[in-house]
Amino acid sequence: MNSKITNRIAISVIIACAVAMAAILISMLGYILVQGVSSISWKFLTTSASPFLAGGGIKDQLWNSFYVLIITMLLTVPIGVFGGIYLAEYAKPGKLTSFIRTCVEVLASLPSIVVGMFGMLVFVNYFGFKYSVFSGALALTVFNLPVIVRVTEDGFRSLSRHQKEGGLALGLTHWHTIKTILLPAAFPSILTGIILSAGRVFGESAALLFTAGLSTPDLDFGNWNPAAPNSPLNLFRSAETLSVHIWAVNTGGIMPDVQTIANGSAAVLVICVLLFNLFARMIGKIINQKFSGK
Amino acid sequence: MIQMEKNIVSFTNNTVTKELPIQINVENVNIFYGDNHAVKDVNLPIHEKSITALIGPSGCGKSTFIRTINRMNDLIPSARCEGMIGYKDVNILNPKVDVVQLRKEIGMVFQQPNPFPKSISENIQLPLRFAGVRNKKMLKETTEDCLKQVGLWDEVKDRLDRSATSLSGGQQQRLCIARALALKPNVILLDEPTSALDPVSSAKIEELLLELKNSYTIIIVTHNMQQAARIADYTAFFYQGELIEFGKTKTLFTNPEKKSTSDYISGRFG
Amino acid sequence: MKIGKMVTDAAPASGGKSKLINEKGLFSQLTDRTSESRGKLLIYGSALLMIVAVTAITLFLSIQGLRAFVVDHLNFWTFITGTEWFPDRAENPSFGAFPFIFGSMAVTFLAALIATPIAIGTAIFMAEIAKKWGAKVMQPVIEILVGIPSVVYGLIGLSIVVPFMRQHFGGSGFNLITGAIVVGIMILPTVASIAADSIRAVPDSLRQASYAIGATKWQTIWRVVIPAAGSSLLTAIILGMSRAFGEALAVQMVIGNARNIPASILDPSATLTTIITLSMGHTTTGSVLNDALWSLGLILLLISYVFIVIIRFLGRRGEKR
Repeated sequence: MNSKITNRIAISVIIACAVAMAAILISMLGYILVQGVSSISWKFLTTSASPFLAGGGIKDQLWNSFYVLIITMLLTVPIGVFGGIYLAEYAKPGKLTSFIRTCVEVLASLPSIVVGMFGMLVFVNYFGFKYSVFSGALALTVFNLPVIVRVTEDGFRSLSRHQKEGGLALGLTHWHTIKTILLPAAFPSILTGIILSAGRVFGESAALLFTAGLSTPDLDFGNWNPAAPNSPLNLFRSAETLSVHIWAVNTGGIMPDVQTIANGSAAVLVICVLLFNLFARMIGKIINQKFSGK
Repeated sequence: MIQMEKNIVSFTNNTVTKELPIQINVENVNIFYGDNHAVKDVNLPIHEKSITALIGPSGCGKSTFIRTINRMNDLIPSARCEGMIGYKDVNILNPKVDVVQLRKEIGMVFQQPNPFPKSISENIQLPLRFAGVRNKKMLKETTEDCLKQVGLWDEVKDRLDRSATSLSGGQQQRLCIARALALKPNVILLDEPTSALDPVSSAKIEELLLELKNSYTIIIVTHNMQQAARIADYTAFFYQGELIEFGKTKTLFTNPEKKSTSDYISGRFG
Repeated sequence: MKIGKMVTDAAPASGGKSKLINEKGLFSQLTDRTSESRGKLLIYGSALLMIVAVTAITLFLSIQGLRAFVVDHLNFWTFITGTEWFPDRAENPSFGAFPFIFGSMAVTFLAALIATPIAIGTAIFMAEIAKKWGAKVMQPVIEILVGIPSVVYGLIGLSIVVPFMRQHFGGSGFNLITGAIVVGIMILPTVASIAADSIRAVPDSLRQASYAIGATKWQTIWRVVIPAAGSSLLTAIILGMSRAFGEALAVQMVIGNARNIPASILDPSATLTTIITLSMGHTTTGSVLNDALWSLGLILLLISYVFIVIIRFLGRRGEKR
């Protein structure tokens, strides 16, 4: 009888934990969305931030976030996918491979502020890229690379051996088998992973603090010449992203509507991340269905 | 080394009436997986334009052996191979051999049908394109030709653009054979090609192989003894990594020299 | 596949060179369309780049981090044990980083203490009790929450936890425990989802064996499932701790940023990451303070390495089982 009572108590405690977890997370998300959505308006999204006055928007920050994200992805995806292919297909068990694996692991678990400091030292100061979109994207590359490598490696490893054998037995080279048969087959899972990592990059802040900077020049959204200093496309201008903006207004903001701006920005950020997630899951499902021929 | 009977009696489909030239000559081949000695000192002639069946209980080394002939074992890092497999004027096991070229000449079909998740025609044209065939007309003709050879043309000619994975298992396996034929190989290796298929599809594949042997040298691994008896001209019996007996199928089945061969054939183990 | 020594190069009827033998030079391998070499070049290059990145980070941070001791002649021992951090004092500036090291450790352990029971409980719930619901609804939602940016957690801390602490425990509400709560909530989803995966990886045969000898659900979980998932559960917790340890902005927003060792968990304090976040932008390169901050960064890096080593060790032990 005793063990039954213990059982009942223990199970109740476990359920209580799960309920607590759900309550914490749901109330948190709810708070952000409820508080924030009321401050999101078309005007909020399309006006520039104001340093002192109420009513500033987040147009530049939002643009910067996406721009840094795109540049980061352009840098990370090719390198990461090739690196993942190396680990899944070419790496022979040995010291070098285990060292590369350790490197991937180290890169994945470095605190992002350390990556930011490295970026400041090397990209901002040493290479002289200053606080810029490009420095920020390079720092985020360091931080996102291991994610893409893992996603690619997992994608390749989940493929059946038969496909690879089929290609090789037909006199295709290993590389050609990878390019024409394995990569297309692994594509859906890799794409899903890439979109999920995009959500992470989009919300990253500490690594950008010292690399992309805390300010944005007056952007002229009519000037799309990447060489112009006030062009949104300029790679070598400083760029405060949305998540850095949230931190900055909360720690040093002197505008009267700090709370509204912070809540609104956070809601936009969370909504974007949620969209990335939904999008990734949807794509994974659709392509999966197509491939299984249903 | 291996004694062969001279008098030939027709044994179901085994139509070889004269000694055919040897295409692949296996001498003293040993294969290891790490410390495991998987294939021991095998000597075996493979005759041109005939079907040679490799039989034996599972784990006897027959699959390992067939995968060595086109160097598919290269994929396994721990596998090691010694001896000689003479083909044309080279030893296939020579590390300098261009495995890509080798695999074009010695094609392979696997136990699990493994069409690529692409269209039916793309499955046949992909290896051709890689081999440098650009001419569209020629690609089309070869596709049709290969599909006709495996008797798949009438079944799929209206849906060449459909995904190959939409075909039934037996059709997929025939497509895989057609795909191997597209490169006009000299030898086709089949590793238990019918074990994943239903009896009707299996019978179709067997029929197909009997036709193909007029133009190709065929080596087939099977653990279905009836299948070997039905289609093979020569049969090799493997047991625990050793080649126990090799000879004309009829001889091996009706008058085996070794006791373990007759035990296996009569179903006493395996 | 390796080809053994006994392979004879000479072919049986050795004639001219067969085209089966590959004797192409390096150049023709690069230009040949069917050759592997071009693809391999790209792939090996990418792999190399990862080694370069890790080496560069370690090297640059070490060089920069050691400057404070080598160039500015700070004493290493007083640096990590000193309790006074007054770098800008005109006379006799002192660099004692212990309060920050202590703060980082305290936040990390308190956060783990807060997060572990809830996260593991949730994981057991998802993987053992409400399996279908857990896998279909809770796991995806929790995985999405893993991706919520840390500044958002900081903002939540600022607008909910800080006022709550102020009301119930007095003071400003910006203190060590607030920081730990915020980070603890932040690592909840990470720990829970990894822990749930490792519980699911325990083979069903073990559970059946336990039920077959009349064990209750809880006895099965406590005596069979948890020990079997053991080292991976620990890995989940350590991973969460390493994330907590490296978190910068969310902690900085709520911890109060004092430079003393807190007397209680209700006192404001600081961590390695928060002091770097706050001061880095205001120093000039080459100044002693700047160098000292890099030294803090180096300590951060080294402790992160310790976490990585522990996680690898646990992973290997898990594999051996």
